[in-house]
Parts: sequence; C-alpha cells; structure tokens
Amino acid sequence: MAGHSGSGSSEKKSSNGVNELLTFNAENMQSNMKTIYYSRTFLSIIGGVVAGILGFTGLKGFIFYVLLMAFTSVGLIAKAKFSIHTYFDSWNRVLIDGFLGGLMSFVLFWTFAYDIAHIF
Amino acid sequence: MAEDLVLDTAIRDWVLIPLSVVMVLIGVLRHIVSKLLRSSQTPDIKIVREGQVMLRARNLRAAANFIPSKAFRARKLYYCNEENGLLFVPKGQATNPQAQMFSDPNMAMDMMKKNLSMIIPQTLTFAWVNFFFSGFVAAKIPFPLTQRFRSMLQNGIDLSTVDVSYVSSRSWYFLNLFGLRGLFSLILGEENAVDDTQRMMQMGGGFGFDPSKGLSVEKDNLDITQHDWALPNFEHHAEDVLKRVIS
Repeated sequence: MAGHSGSGSSEKKSSNGVNELLTFNAENMQSNMKTIYYSRTFLSIIGGVVAGILGFTGLKGFIFYVLLMAFTSVGLIAKAKFSIHTYFDSWNRVLIDGFLGGLMSFVLFWTFAYDIAHIF
Repeated sequence: MAEDLVLDTAIRDWVLIPLSVVMVLIGVLRHIVSKLLRSSQTPDIKIVREGQVMLRARNLRAAANFIPSKAFRARKLYYCNEENGLLFVPKGQATNPQAQMFSDPNMAMDMMKKNLSMIIPQTLTFAWVNFFFSGFVAAKIPFPLTQRFRSMLQNGIDLSTVDVSYVSSRSWYFLNLFGLRGLFSLILGEENAVDDTQRMMQMGGGFGFDPSKGLSVEKDNLDITQHDWALPNFEHHAEDVLKRVIS
C-alpha cells in the first residue's frame, strides 16, 4: 500500500523532468568550506606582503585585494572543475565566503611589509 | 599637518618587528598551554545519549527520501510518539543546565581554566607593550583614514597634528591581536586556542546549551518532514540514462 502511494507521487514528480535531489554530504561540504577558508586566508596573507613590498597605497591596495580574491574564486572554480554544485550548495560559497575574514589579515600584513620596505 | 614623519630605523628593528614576533609566539604558546591544561573529562552519559539521539533523528530527516514511506513512518513513530518516543521529553523532567553546571564543579573548573588561559597572557602582553613601547609611532598604514580613527590608531600618542595613518605601538598591538587570527588558524590548525574568543562570544549568548530543548526542536522538525520516496524517480532517471547510452 505504502509503496503504491509512493510510486503514485513519483509519477507526478517525474513528469516535470529530472528533479533536484538533495544528495550531498554535509560533512564533506564542511571540509570543502574549510579548504576555501584556508586558501583565502593564505592568499590574503601572501597578497598583503606582496602589496606591501610593491608599495601600494590607498585605494590601489584594496583593488589589489579584490582582484586577488576574484583570482582565488576563479582558481577554486577551476579546482572544482567548473561544476560548483557538485561540491557546494551555492555560488556564494565560492565567490563571497571568507572575503571579509581575510581582509583583516591582508591589511595587517600589507601594513607590516609596507612599513618595513618603504617607511623606514 | 606634519607631512612626513621620519621614523628611525631603530624603531623598526626594536619595536615593530619584536612586537609582531612576540604576538605570534605568544599565540603559539597559548595554544600549547591550553592544550596542556585541557582536561579530558568523562562526559555525562545522559547528555551523550541525548546528543546521539538528536544526531540520529537529524540523519533520518536528511535521508528520509531514500527509504520507503512505511519504513519512514515506523521510524518517525519510534522517535516522536507521545509515550516513549526517543525525542519525547516529559514535562518537568527537563534538566536545567544552569543548575547542573553549578552542581558540577568540574565544568566550572574547566571554564575557569579556559578563561584564565585567555585573559592572563592578554593582560601580560598588554602590560608589557605599555611598559616598553608606550608612545612610539611604530607604523604607518598605507591608506588614508578619517579623523574618527585617531583614537583607535593613535592610542597612547596625545598629538592631534600627526596624520591619522600613523599608528602608535599600542594600537599596533591591537591590530596584531585581531589580524593574526587568520595566521594562527593556518599555523595551528582549526582547533586553536585563539579561536576561543569567538567560541566564548557564542557561548555568552546561549550559555549552557539545553539538550532537552534541542530534542523537542528536533521532534518538531521530524514531525513536519514530508516524506517523498526518491527511489521510483531514480528508476526513471536510470531509464533515461540507459536510453541515452543505447541511442
């Protein structure tokens, strides 16, 4: 009986094409998110040092940061073989998450490298 | 306005770099010390059991569509029925976590250890910075800021004519305190002591997480879960795939 009702509802469902099933593992996604966080932090630290040594000031440095993060996003998307939904549940995960978290590290290391290389 | 201050290179060598290095090293030290102090207490069996039940219920909810609806209903009944369901919490039996915490000295002790390992180094470092490095213009941030930031960045210098982008040593300490979090998470791994500040903040809101409340929330969630068996759809899907392979 139960099986019948189940198949009946599926008949209805399958008529509107392949349905989107939520088939991903939350733990795996957590680990993917962690990887994103690490790579963003790492790149923002390295990027901060690079920006400081190159002597960027003012808006230029922040534009550098935005470009760097965009580059990271592209890299992550390429790493995910351009099929984001296999690894994450939305595009925001790849494009936006961790953007502000890295900013503080970026500013700190930017200042540090800039001071050492240019101010003194 | 003073256009460009000339900073002595000795400030770089004896203030800026030592301060930053010390901040990093103290972070590492704190991580190690808190690891040493962490006592492995045996958790209360009731709390563990409730946590596991919640986990199982959550798994059931997540995988609900992969079992037949009869099986799902049986499991739902097992978790949610009003007499002896696993998720059913009788009224008045809910434990008060606050009271429990006070009755259990171990928990309070652990809390205090954590607090101390966080506050003591912070205070010591701040006192150290204040004592040795007060009043230095230690750094210059490479972007302009408005006057509002003066109190934040030039803590310890009482000059209103210096450009705001110059940073005093005390403020450099604060900048380090916040900005090094990312570095710590890289070099110490996810579970580092520095992140305790964040965890503390979270705990401050929902101090003492109430497991019985979690159970009833999970019960409600399970109650409203709609069952829709996915397997027949999979057959259609497989049929499509096979057809595509053949053709």
